[in-house]
Amino acid sequence: MSSHGESEKFVPLDLSRWKNLPIVLMVLGGIGALIGLAVDPKQFGYSWLLAFMFAVSLCMGGFFLTLIHHLFDASWSVPIRRINEHLGAMTYQVLPFLFIPIGIYAMAPAIGLHLPSLYPWMNELLTNPAAAGHDHALQAKQPLFTVAGFFGVAAFNFVMWFIFARGLKAWSLKQDETGAAECTLKMRFYASLGIFVFAVTLTLGAIMWMKALMHEWFSTMYPVYYFAGSVWMTLATVYLVAAILKRQNGQLREVLKQKQFYFIGSLIFAFTVFYAYVTFSQYFIIWNANMPEETFWYAVREKGNFWDLGMLLIFGHFFLPFLSLLRIDAKLTLPVMVPLFVWAWIMHFVDLEFNIGPTPHPNGITAGSVALDLACLAFMVGLLALVWLRNFRAHAPYPIRDPRLAEGLDMYVAPSDIATAPGHAK
Amino acid sequence: MSATPRPYGVIAEFDTPADVMHAAEKIRDSGFLNWDVFTPFPIHGMDNAMGLKNSKVGWFSFVGGVTGYTLGMVMIWWMNAVDYPIVVGGKPMFSPFGAFPPSYELTILLGSFGAIAGMLFLNRLPRLHHPLLKHGRFRLATHDKFFLVIETTDPKYSETETRKLLESTGSKRIEIVEE
Repeated sequence: MSSHGESEKFVPLDLSRWKNLPIVLMVLGGIGALIGLAVDPKQFGYSWLLAFMFAVSLCMGGFFLTLIHHLFDASWSVPIRRINEHLGAMTYQVLPFLFIPIGIYAMAPAIGLHLPSLYPWMNELLTNPAAAGHDHALQAKQPLFTVAGFFGVAAFNFVMWFIFARGLKAWSLKQDETGAAECTLKMRFYASLGIFVFAVTLTLGAIMWMKALMHEWFSTMYPVYYFAGSVWMTLATVYLVAAILKRQNGQLREVLKQKQFYFIGSLIFAFTVFYAYVTFSQYFIIWNANMPEETFWYAVREKGNFWDLGMLLIFGHFFLPFLSLLRIDAKLTLPVMVPLFVWAWIMHFVDLEFNIGPTPHPNGITAGSVALDLACLAFMVGLLALVWLRNFRAHAPYPIRDPRLAEGLDMYVAPSDIATAPGHAK
Repeated sequence: MSATPRPYGVIAEFDTPADVMHAAEKIRDSGFLNWDVFTPFPIHGMDNAMGLKNSKVGWFSFVGGVTGYTLGMVMIWWMNAVDYPIVVGGKPMFSPFGAFPPSYELTILLGSFGAIAGMLFLNRLPRLHHPLLKHGRFRLATHDKFFLVIETTDPKYSETETRKLLESTGSKRIEIVEE
């Protein structure tokens, strides 16, 4: 991998114009969300849920990338690990607070709000327990689909994320100071258990928060489908963040090489295919078995503009990125990768609309509902960006004393030079 | 049989990967076209040093894959919906969903056939003999020596100038290989 032009004098990218962007997003999004709340309080709940699931995607994606970094004992991803660790840390720093309105909306009929619950099954349970007792699909999913189950899952998830995402980040930061091998071993320990925690919590989250909007449905592929889309979108985000930081941060410029970008690009490509594979398999199995308790979920998504959203997902979420990333050099071409990042965010948004939209809008989403979705999303993205930037500024931009760092930079360090190698430097 | 053997090219021997890599950079910058490097193991950065572009094999696999997918879809449509229609499970006679998995398998099959055939075609393989195999020391390319060969068909080839150029890259042993 050549490094042409890297010997030129480094002029950091001037980002001062964008300094207030997170705050602006938060304020504009917040105002929009408040107007939405006043105009259409029912829609606000679903819009907030959509934005929340987007935030979960981003934070869990970062958590996942940190986990697999340790599980594979990877060296190439050391320079980007801090980006992922801070993303993962927001699973406990930010997500629990963003969940509060969802908890309130889920319990709406029971706490005196003149609104139905966000989740039809919860609404039935709270307002008409007799009917809920006869709802076979609901009874079959006891004790998960109860009020205690719903909040128990949320509490479990946030506690687990606190323990594991925090453990990974804290030991990584500690290694910046001590450089001790113990930190790496601890991170491996957290990662080896954490991958199971990740799988269980993501599955529970995807089922209880999003799939439960149509609780009669069954699909064992669903959490994997949400996972594939989430990591895909997160990878595109990490690519862009790394590309900006390389131009803005002198320290990161030294460690973020072509190799890092090429590998993230390859992972984006892999997850493009993985998402399509999982999405198609889910559809194909249900299509083939042809059982009404499963097919209804897709039947309602062929009505109104959900048909168009579905087509957009097939061609926009898969074919377009697949074909544009097929060439090796595309993964290193910023004019391809930057629009792809924007596109990945739009496609993940469309994916969530496709999943959440039909519950409040059986005949298709409206301009108003999308506007409120975007307002909630802008608020949350602004908040996430703010917290992420604060965390990022407070610490070294990459794990400066990670023992795998030199290897990740393709440097050979002779045993006699270890004391002065990257990762071991004072 | 009695005709004088034509020269195939000039071969230069090197002792270290670094030497042959710097030599390759020099030959690349001199604008030679028909030349190659032979080493006992892959050397990182050699593609750049030789100025090699990305291989064209990908295009063969792409065409193979597209052919396989189309073939699968058309075959299933023809067999199930046109030639011998059978209703199975109340499904349509032809649906892209049911036809997808076999078509996908054919995509992979013909894609890999394309890759292998394309690789053989671009390498001009298989072939029974190569002039370099006549060169006694060339077998060391699988042992501990590094070779750079410039063919006489190269437009920039000149018996004296090319040898001088190779000498300037530090090769201790430069010989002519005959056809």
